[in-house]
Amino acid sequence: MTDTIQAKARQMMDDPIALFSKSITQMHMIDQHELESIQRTAMSMRFEEHYDSIEVLHTLADRLGVTQLDEFNDVVPLFFPHTAFKSYPASLLDKKRFDLMTKWLNKQTSYDLSDLDVADCDSVDEWIERLDEQTPLEVITSSGTTGTISLIPKSKHGARYNMQLWKMFLFQTFGQEPTEEQLNPVVDVIWPNHYKGKLGHLRVGQMIKTEFTGGDESRFHALYNDPIDTDLMFLASKLRAAASRGELDRLVIDPKLLARKDEFEAMQARRPAEMAEFFDAITRQLSGKKIFMTSAYPLMYDMARKGLELGFKAGFAPDSAILTGGGTKGFELPDNFMEVIKEFLGVDTIQEGYGMSEISAFHWACEKGHYHVQPWVIPFLLDPETSKPLPREGVVTGRAAFYDLFNESHWGGVISGDEITIDWSTPCECGLKSVHIHHDIMRYSEKQGVEDDRISCSATQQVQNEAIEFMKEFEA
Amino acid sequence: MSANTDFRIPLFIRGQLIEDNWVEFSGRAGGTGFSAPDIHVYADQLPLRNPADMADLYQVPFEEILDVLERLGQALDFETNPYIQEAYEAGLVAANYPSELLKSSYIQLPMVFNREAIREIAEQRIGIAYLEGWVNQTLTDGRDLRIRAFGARTLHIPAGNGGLVSAITIIRNVITRSDAIIKAPSNDPLTAMAIVRTLYDIAPDHPITRHLTVGYWKGGDEVLEEKLYRPENIEKIVAWGGFASVKHVTKYIQPGLELISLDPKRSATIIGPEAFESEETLHEVALRTACDIGVANQEACASARVIYVLCGTDAAGLEQINRLGELVYEKLMGLPNYITSKPKSFNRDLAEYLDATRMDDTFYRIIGGEDLEGAVIVSQFDEPVDYSSLLSGRVSNLVPVDSIEKVTAAVTALTQTVGIYPESLKEQLRDRLPLFGAQRLTSLGYACSPTVAMPQDAIEPLRRMCKWIVEETCDPEKVYPMWLDQTA
Repeated sequence: MTDTIQAKARQMMDDPIALFSKSITQMHMIDQHELESIQRTAMSMRFEEHYDSIEVLHTLADRLGVTQLDEFNDVVPLFFPHTAFKSYPASLLDKKRFDLMTKWLNKQTSYDLSDLDVADCDSVDEWIERLDEQTPLEVITSSGTTGTISLIPKSKHGARYNMQLWKMFLFQTFGQEPTEEQLNPVVDVIWPNHYKGKLGHLRVGQMIKTEFTGGDESRFHALYNDPIDTDLMFLASKLRAAASRGELDRLVIDPKLLARKDEFEAMQARRPAEMAEFFDAITRQLSGKKIFMTSAYPLMYDMARKGLELGFKAGFAPDSAILTGGGTKGFELPDNFMEVIKEFLGVDTIQEGYGMSEISAFHWACEKGHYHVQPWVIPFLLDPETSKPLPREGVVTGRAAFYDLFNESHWGGVISGDEITIDWSTPCECGLKSVHIHHDIMRYSEKQGVEDDRISCSATQQVQNEAIEFMKEFEA
Repeated sequence: MSANTDFRIPLFIRGQLIEDNWVEFSGRAGGTGFSAPDIHVYADQLPLRNPADMADLYQVPFEEILDVLERLGQALDFETNPYIQEAYEAGLVAANYPSELLKSSYIQLPMVFNREAIREIAEQRIGIAYLEGWVNQTLTDGRDLRIRAFGARTLHIPAGNGGLVSAITIIRNVITRSDAIIKAPSNDPLTAMAIVRTLYDIAPDHPITRHLTVGYWKGGDEVLEEKLYRPENIEKIVAWGGFASVKHVTKYIQPGLELISLDPKRSATIIGPEAFESEETLHEVALRTACDIGVANQEACASARVIYVLCGTDAAGLEQINRLGELVYEKLMGLPNYITSKPKSFNRDLAEYLDATRMDDTFYRIIGGEDLEGAVIVSQFDEPVDYSSLLSGRVSNLVPVDSIEKVTAAVTALTQTVGIYPESLKEQLRDRLPLFGAQRLTSLGYACSPTVAMPQDAIEPLRRMCKWIVEETCDPEKVYPMWLDQTA
């Protein structure tokens, strides 16, 4: 028995798809007692590995005197706040000290980055690209309003693996074993977003492009062909921070970035034409076809509203996969926004999911609208103020925290800024046995009416425009 | 009333106490709520409609004003005044101050009304002669001027740092012979009310009592604001507080309605290399620094947060600053609890940043803070932490710098106070730092010990609160008469 648990735990960490025979039904119908013992064992194994390979975890565990993890709650003191991913001095990026940035990142990841060549590295984008080329990492960024960017050392392997999971969840049906076509779907992908970038969702876009189109990249239809530039996003973040501190007069723009001002302006100017082209593609060329489309709620609603205003309707094949999620904060969405999206797309169902940049897992919503926690993730509810674990029984609302056993390139335990509700004691009405999260999820910052310090993916273009406008004024 | 029950903020309109039409409000960040009369019911009564009704204030000699304020101060005794006790209880619930700290601010309240202190404020900041009557001046063109400082119908939006700001607001209103509408801050809901109710009890019909209105409404209540914030109702708004709330008020500003903005201010500290001259000096510098951090639990705009130390960034300099950091933390923990004590609550974002910073000591070292009792972050290079704007709850950041040029980075348009050691460094910096935004340079250890008898936030709020009226006499024999035909 112990051996079996050990073996299953290893497989849960390394290859959960194989553990559950490529079936999402098996993933979410596993006996919860068995699952918990697999999870406990895997958690303990992963901690041992990461204690040796991730320096910041080592330091934290030593400081707290944690030497091994036995029970779920043992991991709670080791959870990282979201700030862990931006704990470097932002001035290192300004000064282009990518040697020191690499040293910092090296402490966050299980991989050895000490051989990275950063000679003549001249921008944040370039540094991340060198990491892409020379290491197993595929770093994702997220921007905040505090003048920094978060850098999360994800791995290429994990990103690719996740796409296999996405395919399974997008095209399989709970309760039915998968068909060959469901396992290897080839579809046109509609990507109502920028073509690429280092932000988490844009990295996913690139993965989708290769994994969902059967290798035919012409079947990937992005709204905007230009990438989101990391250095421009960094400027945007510094701009917001400087404005709030009354220090705009101190803000200096990297001359190399400033030299690209015309390039950025041209990019802004191209957008209306690109949008028209995009609508043409999705409403004329792809009408009636089976497609996959994903984006955050506000972007998807925006696209649908604009399309309907222009007199377009997409009318995709009914077995198309549409996925959305993410928060709606800062955007005025009408109550019927999902209906507007459905009307434009011509589909009956839109799938929803819940995830966050800091962990790899994405939790799909069932027909009841509950997000089912993936079996390789251990969910926690914490007291929102003290971060102490709340009981794992009954209906409990608290701060969401997750331990992702599949995370290999960085520590898998993170505390979120989200308030969620879990009914630990009642199985979901949909019939699945897995832990399920109530549909209503709120940011604590939203609840307290304070400004969130992260820039959501839906607000990316807006802050990017702010940075370009500032560059224009700066030069003037 | 126990500290956990909801409390009530009545409405006081020029001597009339209203306790009716209660509506409930939630506290800050979902904390304990309170009730207040529905302000919309009384909105028409808030402004002093007829400016002529201010004439009664000019029948009162200044010495009589001082008499009333002196009696008021004596009546604000914490031990015997139930309004003050209630304000203290409400403050405990509504604000982040530990009890001993808050209590000491109420115990000191009567001293703020000291007769000579108020005379000094009036004399130094305005000139009592201008308040009492017309002051003569003869200009070089020959005209005779008589200048007098009149009061104005003014709306006050004070900050809730303990009860002091409410007291200052009332004193300034009385000195300038103005008519005040005071919007009580949600984190100090009852101090202004306690003072005006005490005043009513000792001088119910006095003109200064009849020109004070105190109430609560939610900041950003646009229905009320659009009705009230108009030049026909009020001439000036004195707004303290955070960026968002002051910015919000600016939309009502128009000709005839002026804003006196005492807006968000950060403060800085600069310590010269002389601090390390002897062990004794180092201990004193650490103690004074701890005092600037700790007073009022770092809730004041003048509190020390980022502290630049001119010790250099080489190994020897870092050793010095790390040692200073240890001492500052030790002294901070040793300060008595009527000055400072463990914060009642701690900014969660800051706690998360501290947790993350602690994982790697390459760039920053953290001394203390494990129990959210306060901490000293010591930068190991010449920059403050990126989250310096969050520093609160007795968390400061010592930053080593190599040269005096670098310390100007400490000062921006939002900098209020700069605490400096030693005095010679202050003299060296005083002509330079104001160019970048510093408003007050003071001796290390005195950042949170200001007096009302000096300019504030680089303006003269008392002079701004007055309307400076000129009466002039022009004798055609002395002042050139324009009507005379030059060609004739």
